[in-house]
Amino acid sequence: MKTFSIGGIHPNDSKISKDCKIEILPLPSKVFISVAQHLGAPATPVVKAGDVVKAGQVIAEPAGFISAYVHSSVSGTVKSVGPRKDIAGNNMTHIEIDVEGDEWAEGIDLSDTLVTAIPEDNKEILEKIKLNGVVGLGGATFPTHVKLCPPPGKKADCLILNGAECEPYLTSDYRIMLERSKEIVVGAAIMKQVLGNCPAVIGIEENKPEAIKAMTAAVSELQSAGKAYSGISVMTLKKKYPQGGEKQLIDAVMKRQVKSMGLPIDVGAVVQNVATSLAVYEAVQKNKPLVTNVLTVTGDCLPMENQHNYQFRIGMPLSYIAEHAGGIPESAVKVISGGPMMGKAIANLDATTVKGSSSLLYLTAEQTVRNAETACIRCGKCAEACPMGLEPFLLQKYARNSMMDELEENAIQDCIECGCCLYSCPANIPLLDIIRIAKGDVIRIIRGRAAKK
Amino acid sequence: MTTTIIWTIAIITILGTVLAIVLYLVAEKFKVEEDPRIDQVESVLPGANCGGCGQAGCRAFAQFCVESEDMDKCFCPVGGNDVMQKVAATLGREVAAKDPMVAVVRCNGTCENRPKTNEYGGHQSCRVKAALYSGDTGCSFGCLGCGDCVAACQFGAISMDPQTGLPVVDEEKCTACGACVKACPKAIIELRNKGRKNMRVFVSCVNKDKGAVARKACKAACIGCGKCAKVCAFEAITIENNLAYIDFSKCKLCKKCVAECPTGAIHAVNFPVLKPKPAAPAPVAAQNPAPVVSSEAEGRVEKSVEPIKKEE
Repeated sequence: MKTFSIGGIHPNDSKISKDCKIEILPLPSKVFISVAQHLGAPATPVVKAGDVVKAGQVIAEPAGFISAYVHSSVSGTVKSVGPRKDIAGNNMTHIEIDVEGDEWAEGIDLSDTLVTAIPEDNKEILEKIKLNGVVGLGGATFPTHVKLCPPPGKKADCLILNGAECEPYLTSDYRIMLERSKEIVVGAAIMKQVLGNCPAVIGIEENKPEAIKAMTAAVSELQSAGKAYSGISVMTLKKKYPQGGEKQLIDAVMKRQVKSMGLPIDVGAVVQNVATSLAVYEAVQKNKPLVTNVLTVTGDCLPMENQHNYQFRIGMPLSYIAEHAGGIPESAVKVISGGPMMGKAIANLDATTVKGSSSLLYLTAEQTVRNAETACIRCGKCAEACPMGLEPFLLQKYARNSMMDELEENAIQDCIECGCCLYSCPANIPLLDIIRIAKGDVIRIIRGRAAKK
Repeated sequence: MTTTIIWTIAIITILGTVLAIVLYLVAEKFKVEEDPRIDQVESVLPGANCGGCGQAGCRAFAQFCVESEDMDKCFCPVGGNDVMQKVAATLGREVAAKDPMVAVVRCNGTCENRPKTNEYGGHQSCRVKAALYSGDTGCSFGCLGCGDCVAACQFGAISMDPQTGLPVVDEEKCTACGACVKACPKAIIELRNKGRKNMRVFVSCVNKDKGAVARKACKAACIGCGKCAKVCAFEAITIENNLAYIDFSKCKLCKKCVAECPTGAIHAVNFPVLKPKPAAPAPVAAQNPAPVVSSEAEGRVEKSVEPIKKEE
């Protein structure tokens, strides 16, 4: 069984909600849609208060090359366009819409029928992906159309579909792989065609045998249906965190290593999440913009009947979803958006869902306690755990003393912020906290130097 | 035996002479010419190597002073005007005196004024906290309270007040090097003119939210109402992004704005305590000797401002 070559940890996977079918959340009375739902420049709103919008209509346009369209997820009247606190409590422009009915814009196919015939024109496909605001749903929300256009001189040798879902607790990708497997495969075939018909590999961790079965069945069924589907395969990966990291996945599947500060395309790889693949399918085959996604409501302190996988629309307040799922359990002291390893604690439950929302995870006091920091005993556990082969204990020392040259020499810029070092440290040193800040500084220095040249 | 000794002495002497000549020639060839004035200037500098001047340390600053044409561009905040006069004298130049500055904390979001909305359990560092989210109160602009400024101060001039959770600047010790200004990720610390007899008026808030939002997050927030700007006779106050700012070069310390501010966001420090009589604008109040400046005295005088305001 394949896996990445260095580091990694084995946290308990706690996939409690894996058997909860995807439910569709009813519409709230109001949504607040953020204009910053992707990596890059926030989009520019193109609607104003009083405008009547339909679901799927463009309400904000990209404000740069790395940016994306934002669509209304509901039909109704725009009430205001202005600052509102996001998930981290910072002000960001949100478009407030009063929900009236559920009417979709024209040209959107809302039926369940599977469309397997892929358009031949790649430009048309990319245009559809861009216009429908598809971004990477694996966490970074990088605009997908940019990732699917390799820079001149570079060619994709393999499209990797990330179905690893290595973060504990999260089950949204698992559920869509079970329930929407064929759509995901069609999405993969579309992206594969855009990339010049390279092979496509769907990587899934071994702890999801049913997903592996479902995806394998979907691939073989579609392969008998058309030529466009040849070259797609399913690969079982070892259960190890962070298997779903972009560079780790390339290492596991292709045995190639991305160089420091390099991009996956440098070694001929393009990695997309399975949820992105589904969004690509909907955008290209159904002309449906990215306004829905699946999120997991889970946690050890949540009773089984309150565990859910929800299909939400963007702009729904998190408090509304928590309420609908049966309220926040009393023993929960922290709510996380994303997985427990890389997700962020939510400072403000009035914040709303964005394209990349993946979970509402409730953690108890016991699970979140941070013990007092003690001296580093040089046990080397962090260096063993680091999937990028870095030495976190050394980096944190340099970082605390602002030794920028040494930090750069020791490749701090390669840190993927997976949190393995912090997880493994017996001295409770806030390794990731310190390294993350220093990494930002070093990358700024490197960029500044490159800009000067 | 004797010959061995003689030979040894002879060889060592010849070797020594030859090497001395080589060393002399090398030293002549690769001689580093350095302006002797750099050493002279460095000897009058404080030697704190704090970087407050913008140079890499005291020697780099000395070199900068010697090479710089314009003495106005060189200023050692730690040494102040005295040291700069000495530097100018060493170099045979003239230097204009600069107003002394002091670090001012522009946040009054005490635990009382600014209730917590969540509990921060991460690493106690303002930079780390600011990178994660907006902070544990409703105000996303104010002090985060982890004390990065305290750690940055080389002069022991800043300490955290456990009661308020805010940093306090000891004016006696503060050299206005600006290290705390750079360390604060929320940019709440500003270097301001020390003011006549250390008396200063400033807006103790950096919240740019709209009035209602700011007020909800913190009782002492500037709500951008503009009353202070209207009452100011010297056009020293500007309102931008729902936030008032007092230009210290224009402020005449009349304190009219302090009395006018509905939230008490404008602070007047080190003014002599007045008898409880409606506060007449006191530009000449400075006739009384100013109280001894210390962080504690500052706190007391600051508090005494409020009752006066409430009487009006």
